[in-house]
Amino acid sequence: MSEIRRRDPRREWIARNRLHRDHVSVLAVLGQGNTPSEWLGPNGVMRRNPHAVGFIGPNGLKRIDRSGGQQGGPATVATGTAASDSRQAVTIEAPAFLVAVVPDMSGGRLSSHDRDLLGLARQLADADPARPGAVLAVLFGSHKEEALGEAGVDRLLHLGDDAYEGYAPEARLAVLAAVERDLAPRHWLLPDSPLGGADLGRRLAARLGERPATGVWQLEADAEARGKNGSGWRCTARGAANTRDFLRPLPRVALALAECAEPVSETRHAAEPVTLAQPLPVLLSRIADLGPVAVDPAGVALAEAGFILSAGNGVTDWEGFHHAAKLLGATQGASRVAVDDGHMPRHRQVGATGTWVTARVYVAVGISGAIQHLQGIQSCDKVVAINRDPGCDMIKRADLAVIGDAALVLQALVTLVEQEREEKRHAA
Amino acid sequence: MRPDPQKSPSLAITVLVSVGCHPLTGRGRRADQDARGVELARALPLAEVRLLHAGVLDAGSDAALRGYLGMGFDALTLIEQPESSDVVPALAEVLADHPPTLVIAGTRAERGEASGLLPYLLAERLGWPLVAAVAEVEGVEGGVATLLQALPRGQRRRLQVRLPAILTVDSAAPAPRQSAFGPARRGQLAVHEVGEAVPDAELVEWVEQPARKRPKRLKIVKAASARDRFKAAAAKAEGGSGQVLDGVTPEQGAEAILKLLKEEGVLRR
Amino acid sequence: MLDTLLPILIFSALALAVIGAMRRIRLWRQGRPSPVPILQGLAAMPRRYVVDLHHVVARDKVMSNTHVATAGGFVAAAVLMILVHGLGLAQGVLGWALLAASAVMFVGSLFVARRRRNPPARLSKGPWMRLPKSLMAFSLSVFLITLPAVGVLPQDAGSWILAVALAAVLAWGLGEMVFGMTWGGPMKHAFAGALHLAFHRRPERFSTKAGGKGRSTGLKALDLDSPQAKLGVEMPSDFTWNQLLGFDACVQCGRCEAVCPAFAAGQPLNPKKLIQDMVVGLAGGSDAHYAGSPYPGKPVGEHAGGPHGPIVAREGKALVDAETLWSCTTCRACVEECPMMIEHVDAIVDMRRFLTLEHGNTPNKGAEVLDNLIATDNPGGFDPGSRLHWAADLNLPRMADLGQVDVLLWLGDGVFDMRNQRTLRALVKVLRAAEVDFAVLGDEERDSGDVARRLGDEATFQSLARRNIATLAKYRFQRIVTCDPHSFHVLCNEYRELGGPGGDAHYTVLHHSTFIAELYAAGQLHFTPWKGGAVTYHDPCYLGRYNGEYEAPREVLRALGITVTEMARSGFRSRCCGGGGGAPLTDIPGERRIPDMRMDDVRETGAELVAVGCPQCTAMLEGVVEAAEVRDIAELVADALVILPVKMAKGQGRAGQARVEELAS
Repeated sequence: MSEIRRRDPRREWIARNRLHRDHVSVLAVLGQGNTPSEWLGPNGVMRRNPHAVGFIGPNGLKRIDRSGGQQGGPATVATGTAASDSRQAVTIEAPAFLVAVVPDMSGGRLSSHDRDLLGLARQLADADPARPGAVLAVLFGSHKEEALGEAGVDRLLHLGDDAYEGYAPEARLAVLAAVERDLAPRHWLLPDSPLGGADLGRRLAARLGERPATGVWQLEADAEARGKNGSGWRCTARGAANTRDFLRPLPRVALALAECAEPVSETRHAAEPVTLAQPLPVLLSRIADLGPVAVDPAGVALAEAGFILSAGNGVTDWEGFHHAAKLLGATQGASRVAVDDGHMPRHRQVGATGTWVTARVYVAVGISGAIQHLQGIQSCDKVVAINRDPGCDMIKRADLAVIGDAALVLQALVTLVEQEREEKRHAA
Repeated sequence: MRPDPQKSPSLAITVLVSVGCHPLTGRGRRADQDARGVELARALPLAEVRLLHAGVLDAGSDAALRGYLGMGFDALTLIEQPESSDVVPALAEVLADHPPTLVIAGTRAERGEASGLLPYLLAERLGWPLVAAVAEVEGVEGGVATLLQALPRGQRRRLQVRLPAILTVDSAAPAPRQSAFGPARRGQLAVHEVGEAVPDAELVEWVEQPARKRPKRLKIVKAASARDRFKAAAAKAEGGSGQVLDGVTPEQGAEAILKLLKEEGVLRR
Repeated sequence: MLDTLLPILIFSALALAVIGAMRRIRLWRQGRPSPVPILQGLAAMPRRYVVDLHHVVARDKVMSNTHVATAGGFVAAAVLMILVHGLGLAQGVLGWALLAASAVMFVGSLFVARRRRNPPARLSKGPWMRLPKSLMAFSLSVFLITLPAVGVLPQDAGSWILAVALAAVLAWGLGEMVFGMTWGGPMKHAFAGALHLAFHRRPERFSTKAGGKGRSTGLKALDLDSPQAKLGVEMPSDFTWNQLLGFDACVQCGRCEAVCPAFAAGQPLNPKKLIQDMVVGLAGGSDAHYAGSPYPGKPVGEHAGGPHGPIVAREGKALVDAETLWSCTTCRACVEECPMMIEHVDAIVDMRRFLTLEHGNTPNKGAEVLDNLIATDNPGGFDPGSRLHWAADLNLPRMADLGQVDVLLWLGDGVFDMRNQRTLRALVKVLRAAEVDFAVLGDEERDSGDVARRLGDEATFQSLARRNIATLAKYRFQRIVTCDPHSFHVLCNEYRELGGPGGDAHYTVLHHSTFIAELYAAGQLHFTPWKGGAVTYHDPCYLGRYNGEYEAPREVLRALGITVTEMARSGFRSRCCGGGGGAPLTDIPGERRIPDMRMDDVRETGAELVAVGCPQCTAMLEGVVEAAEVRDIAELVADALVILPVKMAKGQGRAGQARVEELAS
């Protein structure tokens, strides 16, 4: 269909004439909803009807939003769909080289660190538009990620075998060695994340006899920087416990920090599956993963705990508090006063003079929130406060505050959870 | 010539220790992770622990290394190496001469390149398995060590590794004991002679500088319209005051809390 | 018959006493050598006894008189008895004097007996309960035996049975008083106590004829350079011999126990028991015979040791448990109260030194704080380059820029504490109002080393101290003023041994309350009268007991128009806040908290506000829930400051002048 827009003066006239009997049907044909607010005038000038735009604001006045964000505008809908399609699909048929990336896939999905790393890989792959490289992602175990292509993966080697689940560095290393042998990628990129790429990447580097760059956080093209293989890239790597930077040519194996590059957002890639040419040798593993250990939340160190139920001066029913913590599976914390009064051991004290905590959820029971205490919980994600005093500082800090008697609220919470568990058991 | 752990009653452990660096003042000290490694080794029954360090010996490193002796050791084996030399061959030589059952090292050094590669290179060279982020050694029996590996948020994973092996520890391992002045002063730094030092040629070529502050990542807004861009730029920092439930029954309060706990997924199932 | 029996009895008792004394001296000599001027000490002993010791004993008038009568009577009676009955010089006045002496002693022993009828909990029982009887036996028998000698009764009065019975009672008395003195009975305190006074480890603490009360409260430095020197005290024999002698002098009167804040808080420390444990260790054995209050929560009879065995075992039990030593707040209340001038706190720190320097066993947060002090020169592990961040807006003059000022303001580690920063701000305001020429060291300042030293880490203390002394030597100033009594004490008394003030350096160290009192007296400060409620004052241990400054803070409060409502325990009897000696760091659990008890003392006075002069006290007392308001003296002064118009004109230019004109018209 031709893209040229043809004018029909008669129709436009009818569309302008609200009293015309065909007015509504013409509007419908023109696709401008029930009330046209703008149209192309007879001499090619855009005409607007200010009465048809806008909406009635909360105070009864008509508001006009000219930014285009107003809902219902037909034009916006059109651009919206266009935007989602605007990501350019890129397929690299015959790559000049491969950039191998081994994302952590913690929880079966690409972490933000992984995405940053794929962004970095794209920088390396797309540096020379004439001779583009392809990004090869090596994935272990089962995964739930669907948007691998959107994240910048051209080729995908997926090894879903159970042998690669859990802590299996030896099996994974064998795969990477096979990739090296079969596909010989020009770059190896891994996230420098504890227990993930940091471990595997160093094993790989040691196996390949390459000296890796670790803690990489910046990458610059630099024709001068001729690495061992003349990569033409220079990287900045963190060392010496984050106190020094090392500027060095980019080696073949690099372990990069989070936020080393922007994640891919403007292109979509093919994520074509590839397989290894030769079957992997059967390997006798010297490390056996016996699985996760049930950790008693009460024993978890406060600094590491993800969910803390913390008690302060307002707690009177200590039995109830301990019971609630046990039932909810929370690590117990305490304010200084509660510790001083001997209700809790000293190593459970939260705050500037106790332990600085990093919990996802911190439930402060009867803690008014001394400045030292608030200092100690500043890196907690969500803070829940249960307190009698609605004016205390903890309430101001809290994302959710319940004003009331701590013992009663905890009791209600315990009952609620117990009920739910009971129901679940019956259902099962 | 590996020692058979089943036969020998004691467990030979070598802990690789390095000269640390205080993050605020830069003063020499016991490296935190290495000290945790020493603590891990000391906690094992029947352990015969030997401390091993390769590097320069000067006033600064002497004081720092004595920090390890202060944990209750008579001696520390020191392989003297000139500044910026590759210590892996020297360490590998010493370890191969008197192979221990376990080698424990920190995850990363606190000075220099601190790539954390050294234990991996040793493992590759000696052909021993390596386990990272060990928080506890539960037991050694029949040539197999049972370990607890530290996962985030205080979680643990149980592993078994065939001995001899190299373990690395990070900050999840138990905190090291205090270093006492008396044993630190008395202890000997026993210098161990090895073949010629291998200079680290590559390191010298790099540019080393104090760590630059990393740019804070800006929130990228892929906004089609000026309005969206404006909104993103002018948006208030998230948060603001939270929800306050006043004058509700305990049950209603509990429900709200439970809802939040479920949303955050912290509730034990 | 008595004529022959008595000399035999007396001289055999004396001979046995001499043998016992030799044995006892041998026990003390197990300790490390410590040179003392023997003759000088012996010569000074009577004065130390009469003036210094009685100054302490006289706090309890009845006991003081009782002791004068009993002890004085005994000494006189014993000497006279040797002359009269031993050598037969019964003629004339000697016999009458002996009669009088034994009579006085008898009266004294009646009071001792009365005291023992319902003894307070702090007194030890056991052998001490028979002491009044022994005293009576001795005095009465001597009196009766002397009666015939002076001719009041005929020589052959009574039968020989009576004479033998009398001799037997006298033998008992002599046994307790003479034989028991050196063989370990309750009377041991007289023998050991007298020698302890003569050979005291701190002769400086006694007053001199020249006047003025001597004062020596600094700890003795350890020799860290010699590898042979022991790092602190591991075994009883690692104490110096005169320290052991001091322990042996203990009368178990329990005054220390009654004032010890840790004991009152139910922490496992009792200073009296600790000294007795050292005595047990001195001779070897177990504490099963101890007859006083135990360490709270620790039954008697489970601990044992010997002179060459460890005091604190690495594992299991020895003479004393480590937590006993770590409970001490080093407040010196026990030392202040001890009539025998025993140095409990020094002994505790000596033993802590071994625990920290050799065992590496500083409990709880103690080890972390020591590591921080080593790595960052402050206990909190803060960036030493951020010491002056709190005062970014104050534009404090730095010593490094000026080089020479009148007053060096020593800020202390309170710079990192938000509460103490308020005090420091107030102090700076006061100094500026008084137009004092002052400067601060800024980032060149380090922790004074107080906490490290009390926690037994002498190495870190000396390292900090030497560097601080070197920094101070770079600049010229007349005085150091600080609002931290701990820094004050260390700078003033403990740096001397390492080359600080008094040695080559010429400056004096003042607590801010002393300095403010001085400024006020010189007319440089003017205050609006106090309008608030009742105020009480809490004496910081390191200002009061350690350095004798009780008056200056009260003077300042008076100058502010405040009438201080004193607490029952104030001045030299002030109760510790619980913050000294690293006690909040070692954090040994008890039944109560020391600051809570102190706040109860405050509450008793009905005061709404408690004035303090120490950042530690402020922190500890403010940590009490629902407490009276806690303000530092500097804050009270700063709030009441009146800036005189003249000064205002000088300081603030035109605006000030306008005010002056206004006031003038």
